[in-house]
Amino acid sequence: MNYMPGTASLIEDIDKKHLVLLRDGRTLIGFLRSIDQFANLVLHQTVERIHVGKKYGDIPRGIFVVRGENVVLLGEIDLEKESDTPLQQVSIEEILEEQRVEQQAKLEAEKLKVQALKDRGLSIPRADTLDEY
Amino acid sequence: MFRYESLEDCPLDEDEDAFQGLGEEDEEIDQFNDDTFGSGAVDDDWQEAHERLAELEEKLPVTVNEQTGNGERDEIDLLGDHEENLAERLSKMVIENELEDPAIMRAVQTRPVLQSQPGSLNSSIWDGSEVLRRIRGPLLAQEMPAVSVLEYALPQRPPQGPEDDRDLSERALPRRSTSPIIGSPPVRAVPIGTPPKQMAVPSFNQQILCPKPVHVRPPMPPRYPAPYGERMSPNQLCNVPNSSLLGHPFPPSVPPVLSPLQRAQLLGGAQLQPGRMSPSQFARVPGFVGSPLAAMNPKLLQGRVGQMLPPAPGFRAFFSAPPPATPPPPQQHPPGPGPHLQNLRSQAPMFRPDTTHLHPQHRRLLHQRQQQNRNQHRNLNGAGDRGSHRSSHQDHLRKDPYANLMLQREKDWVSKIQMMQLQSTDPYLDDFYYQNYFEKLEKLSAAEEVQGDGPKKERTKLITPQVAKLEHAYKPVQFEGSLGKLTVSSVNNPRKMIDAVVTSRSEDDETKEKQVRDKRRKTLVIIEKTYSLLLDVEDYERRYLLSLEEERPALMDERKHKICSMYENLRGKLPGQERTSDDHFVQIMCIRKGKRMVARILPFLPTEQAVDVVLTTVRNLPFLIKKDAQDEVLPCLLSPFSLLLYHLPSVTVTGLLQQLMNLPQSAAAPAPSNPHLAAVLQNKFGLSLLLLVLSRGEDLQSSDHAAESTENSQWAEVMFMATRELLRIPQAALAKPVSTPTNLVSLFSRYVDRQKLNLLETKLQLVQGIR
Repeated sequence: MNYMPGTASLIEDIDKKHLVLLRDGRTLIGFLRSIDQFANLVLHQTVERIHVGKKYGDIPRGIFVVRGENVVLLGEIDLEKESDTPLQQVSIEEILEEQRVEQQAKLEAEKLKVQALKDRGLSIPRADTLDEY
Repeated sequence: MFRYESLEDCPLDEDEDAFQGLGEEDEEIDQFNDDTFGSGAVDDDWQEAHERLAELEEKLPVTVNEQTGNGERDEIDLLGDHEENLAERLSKMVIENELEDPAIMRAVQTRPVLQSQPGSLNSSIWDGSEVLRRIRGPLLAQEMPAVSVLEYALPQRPPQGPEDDRDLSERALPRRSTSPIIGSPPVRAVPIGTPPKQMAVPSFNQQILCPKPVHVRPPMPPRYPAPYGERMSPNQLCNVPNSSLLGHPFPPSVPPVLSPLQRAQLLGGAQLQPGRMSPSQFARVPGFVGSPLAAMNPKLLQGRVGQMLPPAPGFRAFFSAPPPATPPPPQQHPPGPGPHLQNLRSQAPMFRPDTTHLHPQHRRLLHQRQQQNRNQHRNLNGAGDRGSHRSSHQDHLRKDPYANLMLQREKDWVSKIQMMQLQSTDPYLDDFYYQNYFEKLEKLSAAEEVQGDGPKKERTKLITPQVAKLEHAYKPVQFEGSLGKLTVSSVNNPRKMIDAVVTSRSEDDETKEKQVRDKRRKTLVIIEKTYSLLLDVEDYERRYLLSLEEERPALMDERKHKICSMYENLRGKLPGQERTSDDHFVQIMCIRKGKRMVARILPFLPTEQAVDVVLTTVRNLPFLIKKDAQDEVLPCLLSPFSLLLYHLPSVTVTGLLQQLMNLPQSAAAPAPSNPHLAAVLQNKFGLSLLLLVLSRGEDLQSSDHAAESTENSQWAEVMFMATRELLRIPQAALAKPVSTPTNLVSLFSRYVDRQKLNLLETKLQLVQGIR
């Protein structure tokens, strides 16, 4: 059935597996069950996927209702191609550990940078942590 | 406040009668009033009362069967007549579907009896009526305190059986309890904002400029998806008055929705989408339309059968009753329902001819994409199992137990909202790039078709949707019987809040920089104004095509007038004075936008004026070149200049050349140096223009031998000077012209000898090989 050919509409994406990237950086994968005019989404059998380097881990989350304004992008997952990825799936604990390590490394690097700038008498204003665009 | 120790203290001796009256009143007080003095006044916990009843229930299972058969009232007396007779009260109580007050159910639940109920906890909440039935028996036998809780029991949903295969979303929402005593808000059958479950007959409101999604009814699913040849747009359908539907009484007896089969029969094979019904809940709420649609459908459909179009695809066409038959909708109609739209595919000519919604190209693109996807899928699996992937995908969907949680009508509802958002009174204003892009595509494909002899694609005409711009005369709010009018300031009726007085500063106070800045700002403003004029003028062609015959002369006049204004803006019209300075124009040309604008305006100007512009540019070219150093936008002028050149006579070209090279008026006195020319030559635009002018001159000379000899001689003179200058200027870094005309060698060969010709060639790099 053609719903509004040529327009961007989520109706034809219903009941298909999607990957949704949220504004806070989370990646959700789930079956899109329902939408509304604001592109609020209902995701079913949702899994939150955390990527660190070449590894990823899935955390099963159940049903998600996502407010439309928080979605950065979403795309349908080709079920056939889903399995052939160079990425390696690991357990949840492991990926969370990896994530923590990565965050720490980032913080360290940031600290060094700020220190270096301070030494030279420069300062970069910190971005507002709420809106990370 | 006044305390009397005894009656004697009361100062109102005169009012003994009153006191007696009081005494009489005392006597009149019903000492036997149960509620006040008797057992009714006993602060009996109703919960305990219920518990008592539960015990009785266990003892009287027999009475249950007797009571179940009793009359069932749909309606409950919400006002709750407080009758003394409990039995009467109970008999009035709603039995079957009405006991959903959670308070009641909680209480009812506390009894052990309820746990014997089949099913889950859920079912026990909703099965209160059975409990109640059982309660009634013992209650009748026993007097109970006023159980107001039970009095406003509400209709209950039918008990749920095993629900494995049931569509969960089919479950209707429970009715909200209302308390007549406390005064709960009016029962809204459906919370605000829920998508409708079923369709109501759209009570058509013509003034649907701001449709509210709440009131939007999703259309029926098209059982026969049709190709996208749809001429109708939902938008235009909205606007056709629909009073024949409105005026129709609402017989509740008609079933809300026609089955597809019925519809198919009605339509006789034509594909239609009758409007859908309101959610069942809406049907019960007064003010909302009931289920009249089905009754009306046959009428409409029969009326329409003769006018059926080939079915459109999943495009939810909105439509309404035939326009000629409809007077504007009556005002009494409840405004609440808002833009209820029916879906019926109908013939385009019935509606405004210049309306549609989406470009047919869209359909093609989408089809193509779908085809590609399908092909891809097929290819993935190889030739052997062509359909297997798709079928496996469909299998997947089939096996997916959670599929179709979102009902078709809900999908339609969403797409309907999206379509309504596309409504536009002026698509070229709202969606300019969209319209232009698809127009271009169409032209391309048309061109291709003309060239190639492939199979002719079906030409779907583009019909742009246009919602009528309904002019609302704003009338301020008036109340009946009130004195005077409200003075309320709203968006339609703005009121001046601040008294802002415009004061212009005197020129003396300002510093030089400020003056310069102001002048620049003024120039910017002029550019903006002229640009608007330009856009309008460019748009005239399209408007011309869309307009009627009578309007066209007026359009042309407007256009001419605008062109004149543009020119005046450019050159700086001084009141009552001749234009003596180029300053205004030069200022405009110093700004990048100004240059681009002039390039766009030039084709519209009459030749004289255009030449004037060119000459002015050329006169001030070195200055402009200097100013253009950063923007480098001057070359954009080349194209319109060259176009113009080809229309110019020899005289003009001669003059132009003179100006361009800053040649002295007479050949006798050679100027010491020619920085003007040097600057021109070093600039891409300048050099290109020069070459173009030369080339044009040459063309004129060679082509028109019978030309006036004076012109010829003038040209020759100028050329001599030109060549002399060119030879004279040092071989500085020359710019690279946009294009080198081929006839320059022959041009120069006429005026200079061999040696100098070679010099010129090398200097100007006229020979291709040197580059």
